[in-house]
Amino acid sequence: MSEIVIASKNVSKHFGEGEAQVHALREVDLDINIGDFAAIVGPSGSGKTTLLNILCGLDKVSSGDIQVSGRSLQDMSGSELAKFRREHIGLVFQAYNLIPVLTVMENIEYVMLLQNVPVAERKERVEKFLTEVGLEGKGNRFPVELSGGQQQRVAIARAMVSHPDIILADEPTANLDSETGVLLLDMMRKFNEEFQMTFVFSTHDPQIMERAKRMVTLTDGHIVSDEIK
Amino acid sequence: MLWKLAWRNLWRNRTRTWLSATVIAIGLMALIFVDTMVEGMSVNMVKNATDTIMGHAQIHAQGFRDEYDVKLTINNLDVMLTHLRDHPDLKDMSMRVVTYSMLSSAEGVEPILTLGIDPEEEKKLSKFDEAIIAGDYISSVSGGDLILGWKLAEKMELRLGERLVLTAVDAESGEMVQELFRLSGIYKTGDNEMDASMALAPRETLQHMLKLEGKIHEIAMRYAHMNEKGTPAIPVTKPDKESGNDLSLWTELMPAMQAALQLTDQSMAIMGLILFFIVALGITNTLLMGLYERMFEFGIIKSIGTTPWQTARLMVYEAFCLGVFGSIVGLMLAVIVTILFAKYGIDYTGIEYSGITFQEKIYPSIRLERLVVYPFWSLGFTLVASLYPAFKLWRILPVEALRKRKF
Ligand SMILES: Nc1ncnc2c1ncn2[C@@H]1O[C@H](COP(=O)(O)OP(=O)(O)OP(=O)(O)O)[C@@H](O)[C@H]1O
Ligand SMILES: [Mg+2]
Repeated sequence: MSEIVIASKNVSKHFGEGEAQVHALREVDLDINIGDFAAIVGPSGSGKTTLLNILCGLDKVSSGDIQVSGRSLQDMSGSELAKFRREHIGLVFQAYNLIPVLTVMENIEYVMLLQNVPVAERKERVEKFLTEVGLEGKGNRFPVELSGGQQQRVAIARAMVSHPDIILADEPTANLDSETGVLLLDMMRKFNEEFQMTFVFSTHDPQIMERAKRMVTLTDGHIVSDEIK
Repeated sequence: MLWKLAWRNLWRNRTRTWLSATVIAIGLMALIFVDTMVEGMSVNMVKNATDTIMGHAQIHAQGFRDEYDVKLTINNLDVMLTHLRDHPDLKDMSMRVVTYSMLSSAEGVEPILTLGIDPEEEKKLSKFDEAIIAGDYISSVSGGDLILGWKLAEKMELRLGERLVLTAVDAESGEMVQELFRLSGIYKTGDNEMDASMALAPRETLQHMLKLEGKIHEIAMRYAHMNEKGTPAIPVTKPDKESGNDLSLWTELMPAMQAALQLTDQSMAIMGLILFFIVALGITNTLLMGLYERMFEFGIIKSIGTTPWQTARLMVYEAFCLGVFGSIVGLMLAVIVTILFAKYGIDYTGIEYSGITFQEKIYPSIRLERLVVYPFWSLGFTLVASLYPAFKLWRILPVEALRKRKF
């Protein structure tokens, strides 16, 4: 059996109280294994974003338990969670992932600075991942000088560079045209295969889903199917 | 990294940063400028007071200042004088006879304070010689010259050369004695009391009249150097109790002025507080605007592993950069404005303030310590202004912040 990165047991999440209460997740059991390349799919409002937020500790569960790399996220303080994410989880959002006042290089460097990685190693890793995402030579540009697809690639480089246990990406291709989106996903897949990096991402796009090795389908906060291709 | 981020964030909205910096700068400049002017005015007032008659310090017999008892002359004058002549920082001194008296003309009588002086000594200490507006200054240490203030002259309708009789009590028997003088000059000092109820006469003539041969009531002194508080840098040591004499600094001689000056300091502090408080509110507002605009970005920053505390520091650092920048600009403006006014001065001549009419233009006077203190104040207030935005930033959950952007 492969090793488990994220184990979620009986996770429910609701927003609001009483009449207006929304059940975004209902009794979700989901284990993510090392090396997974999993897509979370489902109609709008089915709870994809909520699930990803909960898996990385950005949001708290209403009930149930989440363990990431063997540690339970429920009882961590905001600052503990921040440090935990810094070390163990890479995040990529739909768009505007980058800090606009920092250059591409500085954006990628940022988390390593928080981690106190020595300067030589920092530079080396930045260079390596800039090359990996095909942006060598663009390190001194500012995010606005890059296309949307390039920005997303920098975001993935930033997530990869701190050697996390898993990268979670909420609709990383939603703001890109489908061709660029597919290229981005192929790159993620390459990292998944080359570096055994675990990815979980959500998407609406059938072309993107096709490329996943595992597909988890959510409807109304339930997992209705979980297939490995 | 946080510093770099803060600094660059600051320059994202140049207009806003310049505006905020200008607000800080103008606040700082206004405060420094008002401070230098008030200080200039104080210096002027003190100078007026000490230069006109008082000197920086005076020696009397103990108890003399209570009622100006003519019998209370300075004890062991010779010893005292040798002492004073050895003092390294004493520039000038004037020995005076001081007495209450009645001045009578053909027309009427007025109670006045009469000083018996040596015109040469007195010239160096006070400004009566320069203040003569009609006639002449006293010509010798003996003789029958008398000068008095213009207000008194007006009130008694005196003309130059007119004969005047001074009546006082002598020191030996306490009997009434009289002496005839001639009005040789009229002065205008700007000080109400001196101009309306005081006269100067030759010292030896008064000593003779009051049977005070060789004795005096008062030594007024001027020092070469004064420290920042306006007191002598190297003070004469106070005579001990047994000597029977007493030394008072001008601050003790004019407690009202001393108090007024301290009050000015306090009101400056209060004004500064209010000013900086307003500035701080403006800065808080600006920082909050920036915070809300960049909420999503802060969500990202927090999501990828920046702790709440680090994120809050980002805001404080940004304010710090703004404060330093604003203070530097303000300091430069303040120096420019102060130098300009130092060149041209502000004309207050003829305006009366607490019994003293300004005789000269007011020039700003910079106290170096304030040039350091005020910028730190403005920086401090800017930092305080950032506490609330920083707290908000500290508290907001990354999910909430991330929700602030609709794609
Ligand atoms: N902060 C919140 N407060 C109240 N309801 C919320 C909140 N966040 C999400 N919801 C609700 O929870 C449900 C799941 O939302 P979620 O954003 O996870 O869906 P999603 O699958 O990501 O949808 P989409 O494909 O549109 O991004 C929705 O009904 C949504 O309205
Ligand atoms: Mg979503």
